[in-house]
Amino acid sequence: MRIVPADRKANTASPSEAEETIEAIHGGNVDAVVVQGPDGPRVFMLEGADQPYRMLVERMSDGALTLGPDNAILYANRRLSELTGRSPADLVGKRFDSLFAEASPGVADGSTREGKLLGATGAIPVAVWSSSIAMGGFSARLVTITDLSVLRRAEEIAIAERFARSILEQATEAILVLSSDGRITHASGMAEQIAIAPPVGRMFSDVFPLDVQTTAHAGIVSRFARESLDTALATKPFHGVEVKLRNQPVNKRFFLLSAGPLLNDAKESVGSVVTLTDITARKRAEDQQTMLVAELNHRVKNILAIVQSVAGQTVRASSSLTSFSTAFSGRIKALALAHDVLTRTRWIGIGLSELLTALLEPHRGRVTLQGPPVLLPAQAVMPLSMAMHELATNASKYGALSIPQGTVTIDWTLRNGDETGVDISWAERGGPRVEPRATSGFGTKLIDRVVGYDLDGKAALSFEPGGLRAVLSFPLKADAASPESSWSNLRPM
Amino acid sequence: MTEQDGYNLRLYVAGQTPKSMAAIANLTKLCEKHLAGRYTIEVIDLMKDPALAQRDQIIAIPTLIRQLPEPLKRIIGDLSNAEKVLVGLDIQPT
Repeated sequence: MRIVPADRKANTASPSEAEETIEAIHGGNVDAVVVQGPDGPRVFMLEGADQPYRMLVERMSDGALTLGPDNAILYANRRLSELTGRSPADLVGKRFDSLFAEASPGVADGSTREGKLLGATGAIPVAVWSSSIAMGGFSARLVTITDLSVLRRAEEIAIAERFARSILEQATEAILVLSSDGRITHASGMAEQIAIAPPVGRMFSDVFPLDVQTTAHAGIVSRFARESLDTALATKPFHGVEVKLRNQPVNKRFFLLSAGPLLNDAKESVGSVVTLTDITARKRAEDQQTMLVAELNHRVKNILAIVQSVAGQTVRASSSLTSFSTAFSGRIKALALAHDVLTRTRWIGIGLSELLTALLEPHRGRVTLQGPPVLLPAQAVMPLSMAMHELATNASKYGALSIPQGTVTIDWTLRNGDETGVDISWAERGGPRVEPRATSGFGTKLIDRVVGYDLDGKAALSFEPGGLRAVLSFPLKADAASPESSWSNLRPM
Repeated sequence: MTEQDGYNLRLYVAGQTPKSMAAIANLTKLCEKHLAGRYTIEVIDLMKDPALAQRDQIIAIPTLIRQLPEPLKRIIGDLSNAEKVLVGLDIQPT
């Protein structure tokens, strides 16, 4: 025992009570004494070891309390008093459950439960932890109450921040957030890739050197000096200004620069959101479309010229309107078929066997095709189609295909040498006897023309008694020239 | 509860020292058992306001004061000996 009053009578009501006090102290039934000091009474703990813990508990940012056997509050710290808006004296003696707005979370050893604490201004979400402890011969319970509202707000803010950040990171466009002085505060992954230096913390114009692409927009951006461009982007809305960045490797790409205000909760502008959308693919598609329209226009004009030429020549070679109609529509059909083939193969070319099969479909079963695989270039498709059409028309009118037992054999060989070429042989058998002709008809002339001029080859036709034989020889070269353009050479004969 | 048969008790403690805690718990239990509906307990924490010790001339903690019924009685300790407390407070066990 460390403290014994010097004068037992000084602070006691009677000698017997003083003796009782001394006896209680000796008996270990007392753990603090009150000593009269110059400034009034002071409490001295006989076991002072708990003083540091008391101070810690009073300074805790969590509410803390001690419960007696019936869950009555024996002690409450300063923080719990603040949370509940009730004085510690008011809390002592109250039931633990009365602290809560709805169902009490109860207490369970070592576990944490959540509940709604009756706060000074409303219910507060809290986490309640408790543990039992033996104190002075009876069982008590230590409880801490943690205010979750701050934690919840922090979590909500963190979730919102993570969400916004993941949008920025995943965005395929370059997105930047500028503070009101034009300094970059956030940047998407794409923005970081195309900037000349890590953008966050720098001025926009320092990391994105711009060239305006359209004269209509040049004024908007060039009107601002570099520094004022930053301010303008941060404070004024921009929409759809086409720009290029000067830095490698993106200096060949086109971007659309837009900026919109960034507003806070009070709807005040606190900066802006700037986007640089890569429109290179769109620009290319626009250019390609313009080129395609021009090409289509050119081809349509060529086709019309060919039709006009074929019509003129067919008129001159026809004895009647009926024969004109038959011959002309047959030739136009051959042109249309060749055009279909070219469109289907995207003007790349087609296998010779495939083209002949398509052209001679009406005579299937009576025409035999033999030869190695040959890729016919696009510009050879129309002339060869016309030549084959003339040969087939002639055969069905006068030759092997004019009677049921006649047949045609087409075989071809590839020529390799200085110049790759193909020799196509047309041989008719089983048709009516062929008489040599004094003059060549329009069909023969057309074959000579298209093979000679348009295929840069030669055609040899021999009217043998057993059937017509024709050999068409021409080089296989993939010219860049459009096939119809050569057809414009077709002149009236 | 009338003033004649009611017990006005005042318990002086020093924060949550083990004896103070034990005294609160023991007193509450004892009163509920023997004085149900006939008592009030005022717990005074002298750690928070030591000056209150002067009112009942408290020198040791915990100390229980029986204010009513008169005469004033004083029991020092954690009140763990129920029999002694009942005698000290003149309560007939029920």
